[in-house]
Amino acid sequence: MSKVVGIDLGTTNSLVAFVAGGQPAVIADESGDALLPSIVSVDEANTVYVGREAQRRLLTDAARTVYSVKRFMGRGIEDVKDEERWFPFKVSGEAGGVVHLHLGEREFTPPEISGFILRELKRRAEAFFAREGDFDPEVAAAVITVPAYFNDAQRTATRDAGRLAGLEVLRIINEPTAACLAYGLDKRREGIVAVYDLGGGTFDISILKVQEGVFQVLATNGDTHLGGDDIDRLLVQIVAGDLGLDPATQADAVQAVRKAVIQAKWDLSEFDETHIEVAGVPGRAESYRRHITRAEFESLVAPIVARTLEPCRRALEDAGLSASQVDEAVLVGGSTRIPMVRREVERLFGRRPHTDLNPDEVVAIGAAVQADILVSGRREMLLLDVTPLSLGIETMGGIVSKIILRNSTIPASGSEMFTTFVDSQTAVDIHILQGEREMASDNRSLGRFKLRGIPPMPAGLPRIQVRFQIDANGILSVSAHELRTGIAQTIEVKPSYGLTDEEVERMLIESFEHAQEDVDARMLIEVRNEAETIIGATEKTLRRPDFVEIAASQLTPSETALIHAALADLKQSMGAPDRNVIQVKTAALNQATQHLAEVMMNWSVQAALAGRTADEVAAKGR
Amino acid sequence: MQPDTSAIPIDPCKHCGTGAPVDVHFCPRCDRILTLGRHGDYFTFFGLRRRLRLDLNDLEQRFRALSRLFHPDYFHNSSSTERLASLERSSYLNDAFRTLRDPMARLEYLLKLEGFTPKESHDATTKVPQGLLEEVFELNEELEAIQDMRAEGASAAAIALRLSAARRPIEANLARHEEQLHARMSEHDARLEAGDPEGQREALAELRTLLLERTYLMNLLATVRREVSAGEAAAS
Repeated sequence: MSKVVGIDLGTTNSLVAFVAGGQPAVIADESGDALLPSIVSVDEANTVYVGREAQRRLLTDAARTVYSVKRFMGRGIEDVKDEERWFPFKVSGEAGGVVHLHLGEREFTPPEISGFILRELKRRAEAFFAREGDFDPEVAAAVITVPAYFNDAQRTATRDAGRLAGLEVLRIINEPTAACLAYGLDKRREGIVAVYDLGGGTFDISILKVQEGVFQVLATNGDTHLGGDDIDRLLVQIVAGDLGLDPATQADAVQAVRKAVIQAKWDLSEFDETHIEVAGVPGRAESYRRHITRAEFESLVAPIVARTLEPCRRALEDAGLSASQVDEAVLVGGSTRIPMVRREVERLFGRRPHTDLNPDEVVAIGAAVQADILVSGRREMLLLDVTPLSLGIETMGGIVSKIILRNSTIPASGSEMFTTFVDSQTAVDIHILQGEREMASDNRSLGRFKLRGIPPMPAGLPRIQVRFQIDANGILSVSAHELRTGIAQTIEVKPSYGLTDEEVERMLIESFEHAQEDVDARMLIEVRNEAETIIGATEKTLRRPDFVEIAASQLTPSETALIHAALADLKQSMGAPDRNVIQVKTAALNQATQHLAEVMMNWSVQAALAGRTADEVAAKGR
Repeated sequence: MQPDTSAIPIDPCKHCGTGAPVDVHFCPRCDRILTLGRHGDYFTFFGLRRRLRLDLNDLEQRFRALSRLFHPDYFHNSSSTERLASLERSSYLNDAFRTLRDPMARLEYLLKLEGFTPKESHDATTKVPQGLLEEVFELNEELEAIQDMRAEGASAAAIALRLSAARRPIEANLARHEEQLHARMSEHDARLEAGDPEGQREALAELRTLLLERTYLMNLLATVRREVSAGEAAAS
């Protein structure tokens, strides 16, 4: 039987997980890496790169590389114009239509780019099952997670991405709910749980009641445009300002800066100070170096963290609960590693949040558990989620009439009666909206449709019942019939920010035409991935504020020099087309740093025993 | 005495054709989930009598148990008829739970079921209920006086004080209404238990009036609140 996997399609990283023998686990690639960077690059020969290789191409061919595509899913050009200039690729689109991303001479929609990421995860899972000697390693279907606050257009775009990757999307589930499922499974906890999920590009807060194996979401709130990306951009703007970089013409340099500030951001979750270092800035002889303390960083990101607190309060209010009634707070998403975020969540809920599961993996684990429930039909556990936004239609004067209220448990349905205004009128226009505001123009347009085939009658006589159904994925469908004659109406919804079925079909064919599987290229990529891992680990150690102290007492000067030389050597060889060269130099750096690794291990053990940096040790052990 | 089964509406199972009473969720013969054709009401769906005072813990437990029976998660590999039945039955369950767990929504729903269609509720915002005429008159005078104060440049503190004084009698009246509503709901349930349909309808008629007045009072309070925030906006 072909497999059903759980997929966390993240802004920054994506993962795939699977339940085997009742035990969920994330699936790593051939070199042991579970996180797939959500980055896609397309070169001149139309070869598509996904993940680490695409991440490297950000520094050499930024204009043909897409990251954070999740921020564009189900959105229009007018939603992204504020941040667009900081992205290396060109963006276009008509107002109210789907966004197009330009990579060289080709154009892609966000679901196509996400589809490449999903296809890579599918391939990774199939390779894993094949390695395990599975009789049928094919992955035909998946449960994919989305931010709880995703609207209908964003969910539909995610489902389209799955189709483009050749996956049947069995279910779309919400990320915080998936995380809660993974936690509940682990601890068998009952009570009120608040899941605070701050990822690369989105923020969600969900309040759940867990009882007798039922995970019932009481309320959810969030912001689908708030996350680690925004922190990175603040830092990039400072450094780009220092260097006088123009994002429009120096995209590669801006990406080098972005890589450096992300590294510094990570460092500051562990240490009180660090340096932002950018080597090889065009027009500069020496590399750029800027000292930054955790206090400076916190004052910079405080407004972003503050923006997460209001949705938390609104979710509590909708759930009819006060913060003190929350029994457990759970942190999800890479950005919750920032100490300031942890402090604020602790202050809001008056309790220390749980961080015992890996915040990067917990969502994928939950998705795999849900996939297992769907396939096995086991009934011990059940997710009851809600729709995050109210659904309504535009009525006279541009006012919204709400049909399904936010935080309604899904599946949910509602209906509305329509009639005609003119004698013998045979069609009525209906505009569907999602959001909480009173005026139609302030809400998100989901689509318009024309109700056709109404039997000609005097005005006001036809009674057309339009039924809105939100399924367990949080996705809307519409049906209608005229009550007097019982005639069913045909409805074709033109999605405001989505693709029509025909467009998806066409893209499906195109993506097959351009699919390229090159074994040699793949092996080169794997070797590069491995090299990059050790480069990253070595550089991180060298950047520690206390490294000079450690080196002076524990290493000989020639050892230190050898490490620096081997590191520089390997970095130099990264671009080489011959994978053997990279492999040899990787082994050399491994050799050179062996003693250093032992020293660092002992150092952290001693630090832990001394008790002064227990948190630091815990953070490293993650 | 034999129960009279002829009055119970029967729907056929789409799979095996066996007739099943509406609000039986699964076919008694083939055990498949039944499509939601004609159905009873939210109360019978939960297996409850039409009571206005419900034990919320019990309701929640029934909701969870029924969710475990209907949820689309469990019909993934079933026929499309069953999948649709599961979707519709789950949606109906969720709507029913949302309505019944809230006492006022529950009351409104029962009034509609029992034919007390609150047509007047549409006018509730425009037409003043008889019992509240005096109250509304006084409040309107107060609000006018406050608007004059504002025009004459009275201090924000003085206006706020006057506004909070103006809302106090309405809040007190609202509290009285809540109390009476709950008392009448208990009475309705007692009549139901006693098999006294006449008394039940009397209680419902009173409840409808109380509910309308309560809605009206809430709207009045919202008006005062708007006045307060208008004052704050003007002050800042």
